[in-house]
Amino acid sequence: MTSATSLAAAEETRGATAGRLPRGSRASAFWTLYTLTLRQHAHGRRWLVMGLLFLLPVGLAILVRSTAPDVPAIGLEFVLAHMFVPQALLPIVALLYASGLVEDEQEEQTITYLVSRPIPRWAIYSLKLLATLTTTVMIAAVFTGLTYAAIYIGADARGENVPLRCLTSASIHALALVAYCSLFGLMSLLTRRILVVGVLYTAIVEGLLANLPFGIRLVTVIYYARLITYRTMEFLVPLPRDRTENIAADAWQFDVASDPQLAEHPQLATCVAVLVVGSVVCTMLAAWLCAGREFHVKTPEKD
Amino acid sequence: MHTQVLDQVAGPAEVTPVVEFHGVSKWYGNVIGLNKLTLRIRPGVTGLLGPNGAGKSTLLQLATGQLRPSQGSVRVLGRTVWNNARLNRSIGLCPEQDAFYEWMTGWEFVLTCVRLSGLGRRDAREAAARTIDAVGMTQHRGRAIRGYSKGMRQRIKLAQALVHEPEVVFLDEPLTGTDPVARRDLSEIIRRLGSEGKSVLVSSHVLHEVESLTPNIVLLNRGRLVAEGHVRQIRDLIDKHPHHIVLVCDDYRRLASRVLAWEDVEGVRVLASEKGLMVETRAPDAFYGRLPALSLEDGLAITAVYSDDDNLEAVFKYLVTK
Repeated sequence: MTSATSLAAAEETRGATAGRLPRGSRASAFWTLYTLTLRQHAHGRRWLVMGLLFLLPVGLAILVRSTAPDVPAIGLEFVLAHMFVPQALLPIVALLYASGLVEDEQEEQTITYLVSRPIPRWAIYSLKLLATLTTTVMIAAVFTGLTYAAIYIGADARGENVPLRCLTSASIHALALVAYCSLFGLMSLLTRRILVVGVLYTAIVEGLLANLPFGIRLVTVIYYARLITYRTMEFLVPLPRDRTENIAADAWQFDVASDPQLAEHPQLATCVAVLVVGSVVCTMLAAWLCAGREFHVKTPEKD
Repeated sequence: MHTQVLDQVAGPAEVTPVVEFHGVSKWYGNVIGLNKLTLRIRPGVTGLLGPNGAGKSTLLQLATGQLRPSQGSVRVLGRTVWNNARLNRSIGLCPEQDAFYEWMTGWEFVLTCVRLSGLGRRDAREAAARTIDAVGMTQHRGRAIRGYSKGMRQRIKLAQALVHEPEVVFLDEPLTGTDPVARRDLSEIIRRLGSEGKSVLVSSHVLHEVESLTPNIVLLNRGRLVAEGHVRQIRDLIDKHPHHIVLVCDDYRRLASRVLAWEDVEGVRVLASEKGLMVETRAPDAFYGRLPALSLEDGLAITAVYSDDDNLEAVFKYLVTK
């Protein structure tokens, strides 16, 4: 037997007998990592911060309802659930969670326990992102429900199907969160100052550029989220003499006077596809980056 | 600095190494972690020795696939390590850092680690219970890790490295900070791993720790391999080089003139504060043999004789500073 053959035979034998324990599936390892990340989120303090932030629209709704009862509920819904939350809260939530996807484990030096297991690095990133999406979407859904409750309980809903509107809002928020988390997750692998970069991105790109009536807003998440909202929900506020006005078009710089159907803007399916495909592309890029990344853990001698 | 390659004690030369470094360098920017390291570690327990910053942790992180070599190749069990997650089924790592999911209990931690290795629920529970028992933590397994003592933390960290029954175990400073009881128990576990046929690479900067675990050692310093082989041979090695022997004597100046006449004495340094001499000799046995006569015939009352070179620490110091 040649040395090469004997080495191959040895490796084969080694592979067959590697460890004496019965081997479970990769799915078992993946599920454990997913649940581990969820538990980490539950034990962290981030969700408390998130809860407090998300209580802002709830508190504002209660405040407005109690001090200005004439404000139409649908107007309040638009301002809080479709302006304030997607513009301010969702990017912050996504940034705070996605920035720590891998960074937290590295900072706390527990990443060693993950990379020394038979789980590829790309899977570590993807599963942690998936768990992060689960957490953020759950938080957003619960507090969207609370916001709607604060706006509509006891208010004149004017025949609106409030539960359906709430469900639609929560779904749009979830989609936006998926996009934001995927984007910020990718950014977190490209820069060490993800919080600074993320805040700047949110302020400049999602805040400033998205509000300009130019093509540049097509590169923002919020633009597609708004378009989906506009195409699936109505925000008709009653005006004097039985007239109504769609406050969303004006607020979001949609020129409905010359293009009532927004034919020059992407259709609903396109908007959803852009956010989903964009998220998948960001995730794949980040997973690819992660696959080739070293996770250097500080040791006392290097501190 | 030249590497002292000594005869191995692990077995015949054709034994397949479990860990192979071939021309491996690792750079952290301008800082070098390992420098053109070529090393073959055979089955059994091997001690990895070196002072802080020698490159031990870098070596272990390369061997466990956490780091990618800047140059050269690293193989474990004949397979490339970097980006080979499947190989981790056969590798166990007890890292140096005192980092845990602090909110978990010891049981949850070990169970999570074995589940991350891909074991099914029932097998994982059995393996976790068995391993926790083996490291003597059954009684404390239900407590949160944040409340553990240093010794308990080291034990539970060792448990997570062993729970999936790896073929090769890498232990980075496993005895650091432990009390004597934990040290004794952990040492016993490591020795048992070797007797069970596992290959263990255990790092330490405390020489007597490793000496109590295995006679087979690898010495690193400044990212380079200084020596590898049997402790005994490293002891022999030092006999080829000057020993430092301290003689304490009231009339140390006269003593100095006497010993300088001996051919094997290469130098004498006066230790005035101790009323003694530091003698450098290449023939320590012969030197010791002449001392009684010196006292008797010349009336030089030597009140103390000692040498720092009699233990492995001295060997290590000599080799790394050579």
